[in-house]
Amino acid sequence: MAAPRSNREFVEACVKSGDAVRIKQEVDWDNEAGAIVRRVCELGEAAPFMEKIKDYPGFSYFGAPLSTYRRMAIALGMDPNSTLPEIGREYLKRTNGEPIAPVVIDKKDAPCKENILKGKDVDLCRLPVPLVHDGDGGRYVGTWHAVVTKHPVRGDVNWGMYRQMMWDSRTMSGAVFPFSDLGKALNEYYLPRGESCPFATAIGLSPLAAMAACAPSPIPEPELTGMLAGEPVRLVKCETNGLEVPADAEIILEGEICPDYKVEEGPFGEYTGYRTSPRDFRVTFRVNCITYRNNATMTISNMGVPQDEGQLLRSFSLGLELEKLLKSQGIPITGVYMHPRSTHHMMIVGVKPTYSGIAMQIAQLAFGSKLGPWFHMVVVVDDKTDIYNWNEVYHALCTRCNPARGIHIFRNTTGTPLYPHASPYERKWSMGSQVLFDCLWPVDWDPVNDVPTTVSFRSVYSQEIQDRVTSNWTAYGYPPVK
Amino acid sequence: MNQWEVFVMDVAELAEGQDLELTIRTLNPGIHKYTYKRVRAQVSSDPGKFADQLQVRLGRGQMSNRKFSIEVLGEVQRMPSKYL
Repeated sequence: MAAPRSNREFVEACVKSGDAVRIKQEVDWDNEAGAIVRRVCELGEAAPFMEKIKDYPGFSYFGAPLSTYRRMAIALGMDPNSTLPEIGREYLKRTNGEPIAPVVIDKKDAPCKENILKGKDVDLCRLPVPLVHDGDGGRYVGTWHAVVTKHPVRGDVNWGMYRQMMWDSRTMSGAVFPFSDLGKALNEYYLPRGESCPFATAIGLSPLAAMAACAPSPIPEPELTGMLAGEPVRLVKCETNGLEVPADAEIILEGEICPDYKVEEGPFGEYTGYRTSPRDFRVTFRVNCITYRNNATMTISNMGVPQDEGQLLRSFSLGLELEKLLKSQGIPITGVYMHPRSTHHMMIVGVKPTYSGIAMQIAQLAFGSKLGPWFHMVVVVDDKTDIYNWNEVYHALCTRCNPARGIHIFRNTTGTPLYPHASPYERKWSMGSQVLFDCLWPVDWDPVNDVPTTVSFRSVYSQEIQDRVTSNWTAYGYPPVK
Repeated sequence: MNQWEVFVMDVAELAEGQDLELTIRTLNPGIHKYTYKRVRAQVSSDPGKFADQLQVRLGRGQMSNRKFSIEVLGEVQRMPSKYL
């Protein structure tokens, strides 16, 4: 099965496999569509493809595009029944290869150029921008999208998923944190010079382009998309600036980030399951041009309590990018996993404990890396603990982590305004703190006499006894074990 | 009659009897619902004092149960003209 090249191919593949449903009746953009997507996320249901939007004939919504591992597998062109470790291995295999450069196509071949609005015709309200959660500070244009920018000196392209709220017909405000790629470019270059930063927002991306925009990988997102897809992503030049955008996207907004003007943004329902970050004057985007496909589909991510694609995909990509980093340093890890239900706050690392301080080394690398601000807990377990099995990890955490020696607090680190546990002052200044839970037996303990032996069916009985018990299990009167 | 909404940290920010500069959004039905304007206005905790209604939300989007009325005196343009 080939990876879908566009959001449309992805919707079709999901409908075919039963992982999306077509909603024929009219849906209101004002809260109703958001509520459908939220309920889908909380129930783990099929993604809603809403074909008829009140006030917006011809437009549609696709909600919760990647909030299940099944849909993630479909996005990668894999069997929807693939297990999480299988999907992870495939992601690592594809992203450890050679970068695949994008191709730039002619405007006449680019679906996203089927409709072009410029000048007085530019009005964001002509798009079915949803009010995602009741009480949000505004209608959010960008919840599952990519903000495309290019570094003015280095020239590297960045696709980032920075949320964008519609302020008026031509203005959006967004949360761009200072430690993000775009935040650094603005603070290092554009703001001190008072220069506008060209941007484009691409909505309704192919699922792999969205995955790349969400992933904290050092590989530029156009190349990363190509690596994930196994073929170059198609780009097309913008109408009003020099940027290139995914040609198969549903909607493109072009404009400039204002260096000397800010409007309010938020509050917004966030991936932590709360509205945490304060309403504030944030980065302001002025839209100069809108292009879109005929019968365009807006993608909607509704963040809140688990689980939505923000949690699922960020957990997935943060874990695998940390796995790459730790392996690049020669640390004998067995794997890295972030459970989406931790709202990508807890990193679980399995390692063969071959030397002292290995858990601390892992935590220092994790917290000190570009990935670090997005999580605040690292749990290190040994190579015999199944990192994907929360029962085993929880048991290790509660029994092996010494309260005095195993918990290490990192103070004065970088955080985000989205951390519910942070004080209002810490949120305002992106200040963080982080913690390591070292669940390894100390290497200076005698493995025979000091390290406790695990008592489980699997570990204390001979293979012969285990086989006898399992083969007689139903004869004892128990139902078969799945 | 128009319907407006404002976000405040504290309802006390809506001082009566004086000109205020507020960011308000329209709740009038239609495709421009929830778009913002920066305005000079007077507000009143008497919902009948001014013709337009003002709904209030607090810092995390919670709806206040207090109802206000508002008179918009004029629009304030803070955006530099180069972006208009």
